[in-house]
Amino acid sequence: MQQRRELDQVYTNRKLLNGQLDTPKWWLPTVSILGVVVLIGVVVIATMINKGLGVTGLARPVYWGLFITTFVFWVGISHAGIMISAILRLTQAEWRRPVTRAAELLTVFSLLTALVFPLIHAGRPWRIAYWIMPYDISRGIYPNIRSPLIMDPVAISTYLTGSTLFLYIALLPDLGNLRDRTTGWKNAMYTVLSLGWRGNPRQWKMQTVGGILLSALMLPIFVSVHSIVSWDFAVAAAVEGWHSTIFAPYFVIGAVHSGVSAVVTMMALMRWLWKWDDFIRPEHFDALARLLIVVATGWLAFTFLELTFALYSQDAPEIALREMQMFQWPWNALFIIFFLTAYAIPVPMWLFKRVRTNIALMFWTSILVNIGMWLERFLIIVPGLARRTPFVYTWEAYRPSAVEWTIFIWSFAWVTFLMLLFSKFFPLVPLFEQKESQVFTEDVMIGRAKIPAIIREAD
Amino acid sequence: MRKSILGLFQQPEPAADAMDGLKEAGFELGTFDVLTGTPYPEGAFGEHVPQHRLFRYPAFGAIIGFTLAVFLTSVTQLAYPMVTGGKPILSIFAMLIIMYEMTMLAGVIATVIGIVIESRLPNMQPGIYDTRITEGWIGVVITFDDESKVADAESVLNKAGALEIKHA
Amino acid sequence: MASQAVAHEAEHHAPPPNVDADVVTRELIATTTGASGRFKAWTWGLGILSVVGIVALILKFIDQGDDSTKWGYVAALVSFLLSVTGGAPMVAMAPVMAKANWVRPITRIAALFSFAGVATIIMLIPLVAILPPLVTEGARRRTVWYMAPDYSPHFWTTLSLVLLLITGIALFYSAALPDFASMRDHSTGWRQRLGKRLARGWVGTDVQWRTLRMRIGMFGSFYFLILVFVNFLVSTDFGQSMVPGWRDAIFPMYHTVSGFQAGVAGVVIALYFSRKYMKLEKYIHLDAFWSLGRLLFALTLLWIYFFYSSFIVFWYGRSENDIATLDLLIKGPMIYAFFAGMILLWFVPWWILIWNKVRRGTAMMVVGSFVILIGLLIDRIRTFVPAWSVPGDQIHQKWLKVIPETVWPDIFDILIMAGGISLVAFIVMMMTRVIPVLSVWQVQEFNLLAKPIRYMKGHATLVAKPD
Repeated sequence: MQQRRELDQVYTNRKLLNGQLDTPKWWLPTVSILGVVVLIGVVVIATMINKGLGVTGLARPVYWGLFITTFVFWVGISHAGIMISAILRLTQAEWRRPVTRAAELLTVFSLLTALVFPLIHAGRPWRIAYWIMPYDISRGIYPNIRSPLIMDPVAISTYLTGSTLFLYIALLPDLGNLRDRTTGWKNAMYTVLSLGWRGNPRQWKMQTVGGILLSALMLPIFVSVHSIVSWDFAVAAAVEGWHSTIFAPYFVIGAVHSGVSAVVTMMALMRWLWKWDDFIRPEHFDALARLLIVVATGWLAFTFLELTFALYSQDAPEIALREMQMFQWPWNALFIIFFLTAYAIPVPMWLFKRVRTNIALMFWTSILVNIGMWLERFLIIVPGLARRTPFVYTWEAYRPSAVEWTIFIWSFAWVTFLMLLFSKFFPLVPLFEQKESQVFTEDVMIGRAKIPAIIREAD
Repeated sequence: MRKSILGLFQQPEPAADAMDGLKEAGFELGTFDVLTGTPYPEGAFGEHVPQHRLFRYPAFGAIIGFTLAVFLTSVTQLAYPMVTGGKPILSIFAMLIIMYEMTMLAGVIATVIGIVIESRLPNMQPGIYDTRITEGWIGVVITFDDESKVADAESVLNKAGALEIKHA
Repeated sequence: MASQAVAHEAEHHAPPPNVDADVVTRELIATTTGASGRFKAWTWGLGILSVVGIVALILKFIDQGDDSTKWGYVAALVSFLLSVTGGAPMVAMAPVMAKANWVRPITRIAALFSFAGVATIIMLIPLVAILPPLVTEGARRRTVWYMAPDYSPHFWTTLSLVLLLITGIALFYSAALPDFASMRDHSTGWRQRLGKRLARGWVGTDVQWRTLRMRIGMFGSFYFLILVFVNFLVSTDFGQSMVPGWRDAIFPMYHTVSGFQAGVAGVVIALYFSRKYMKLEKYIHLDAFWSLGRLLFALTLLWIYFFYSSFIVFWYGRSENDIATLDLLIKGPMIYAFFAGMILLWFVPWWILIWNKVRRGTAMMVVGSFVILIGLLIDRIRTFVPAWSVPGDQIHQKWLKVIPETVWPDIFDILIMAGGISLVAFIVMMMTRVIPVLSVWQVQEFNLLAKPIRYMKGHATLVAKPD
């Protein structure tokens, strides 16, 4: 599986730092266009805050719609980082190397984006300060720590802080490298950021041991974050389809599915845009696809359990909800699209090695997965609320407005914009990990076969 | 200011031989070190394996985080004692989540601080260095209290095959 | 002095040396013969206890076969045995699929547990007879079978457990072919004849090796799917479905994951005793305990995660249903079992396994594993005994209105549990007389692929990673 490529360090530096030392031709136009979209999104958000949530399609009984769906979606995407960086580091999988930093970065930026949604969803975001600050700002009101809506920001902030710090620590050797390759103000910036990194055995040992320790600490956080987000829904007994004990692991495994697919999308783009064919190779996509098959099948099992035990209760409202979700327009169309895109199309394709090593096919199937996973969250959140229509006054079914769609598109532009900005100053592929793989891998002859081998340190 | 010299090698084996040579020449462990642009298996250069206390940092951080979280969750619930959803005022099971997150957050922050400190960073006067180290060269740096030993060190480095020796 | 200290430290950290292939074959085949007096005494003792347990099972069926409320402990035992014997072969399968090298020497000992699935089926037989049909007194209880025939749980659970046993044995046999050939060539007496028959002409051609790997992959995946399905059926049909209103979507996965935890714990215990009493330190490296320790630690944390995910939804919901479920399974008749189970299945193993030094050794690892197994048995009692204690005329209600009293085990239950657990240990021990406890060809493969080397001035292991 792992083809050993002999790449000297000068070449590695030159190729992987091409984003920082040169500027690719496509970078500025792309960032400019994204910047315009981001600006439009910000203006729309500001307008919404000014005019109120009435400009969205949200109304009784569907109080949570596109914004919360997209919030859960971005939290889900963020689970890629730790999955790839931490779990694969702990299991010493060699094929993680080109992917880890980009995945961690996706985590940080998608969490930042996810956090925006509950803020703007409040209608009057400044009021959040009153009920989130553990301080008697206003008439003795304190955060209600029993509410999952308080647990959410705590968990997401913890994950965001941890991921950012993890990203920075792992960036130190590469900051040292950039310091050595630059002059002028850039050199000064990297000198400060690298904290005086030299590369002696003590510092490298701290990278290794610290990386493992941080991975071990971040893993429980990663599991807890999406579980807590799922409890926003699961602890509510009043909404059909929500009060299920399986939500926590179901959401987590769905997040891993969607997050790792997003990493596949990102890796394909990185290979094509920065011409990193030597570093991001078909074998990496093969390994990721095999991981995705396992994760997706696990996700399917959890979906099956969720549906089975929803019907298990034999509760008329619950059964009516499921009938609506699967057989009534427009939910039935969304359901079919969701199932096809999240599992039925991509996973059977990934069973074939020819597909797994075809980067274009992996790119498109990974996008399909994320379309499906967004729809999954939409189908969990909105139908359960929409079904309460007979009991309250409503004028029409929930239909997301142009404002909501604009902000939805803004979120994608914002994450991409941030990633591209980052790529201008910091390498997306960890250089020291690539170089480490040159040191820690060898070819060994067993009979006439040349087998790739890994050097494992003695304990 | 202590004097230092840096021997530069293009291959790791001569650098490892230089480290051995310095040990045999009687230089104390801790006065010489190897600089690389990529991690090597531990002990590859025969270097002194550094002892660290990194594991104490997350433990310490976790205790602080846990204590803070217990305080925060209990005090906020007791300060505004409102029954929500039939739950007790001090809802331990709900508190557990915030306690868990804050414990982990403090643990992670403490670990990061620990990594930085144990790496002996920030070190804004890092001493003698060469930018080619991050291009694959290996540096063997020796620091002297007594300048009379500089010649011995240079001799060891040259014997091992150093391509260049820098002085600071 | 300093150089001696450095040299000693270097040797201490050096990986264990490889063993020549012919020595591997000779020594591992020799483990099937020459059982020590202690081994024979234990086998006899476990065998007698197993027989006593089966006799007690028959007597209980004769005496109490018409009262399902007295069969909770047997149901808990079936779940426990399924967890251990079903979960252990996963150690032979999952790391192999992930191409981990450390697991190669120990896959056999994990796969041997699938034979002990016979114990699960023996204990299941009376339970299937006593399990109420889906419709009782004209009312259908809540079940995953919806409108299926009344005896669906009975049929499908039995079938799936038998299928699990067969698949486990198929997985074992697929991987054992080369070792049967080794027995054909190097054993004597009945073992040699058995090896000749079961080796089926194995000579080690390229085609045979490729077919072997394909079979292991296929049966391994199939085994995993069936195991999850069996856990789903046993936990719902023999647990949740017996309690009106107990709707817990996570319970099947909770049952499965705690089953993996128990399986890994079982493998650790088996490895420890094999290594110590069969003098297999050369083959069962500390590396295996280190990797299994990490897996066990992760599964221990997963237990509390699954438990809390379930608990918090009931606790927040606070409907009559939710409160009744919590009362039955946690706060009411099973409160002491709940605390004991939680402490032994999560808290104590967490604080044992968290230390690197423990996971790099063997003694505390086996202590932690025993604690986990005891904790799991108590936890299964906590969930299945109250489930079965609900009277048959109440199981089709909307929710549980009267929480049953604590059901304590009688002498039959104690003997049955002791017998069932003994039977598992007995079967595993007896299988080590039939085939080497470690896979000969996989130990040889491990030595071929992982070689200790000198890397410049240090020590390392070179691990080849063929596709």
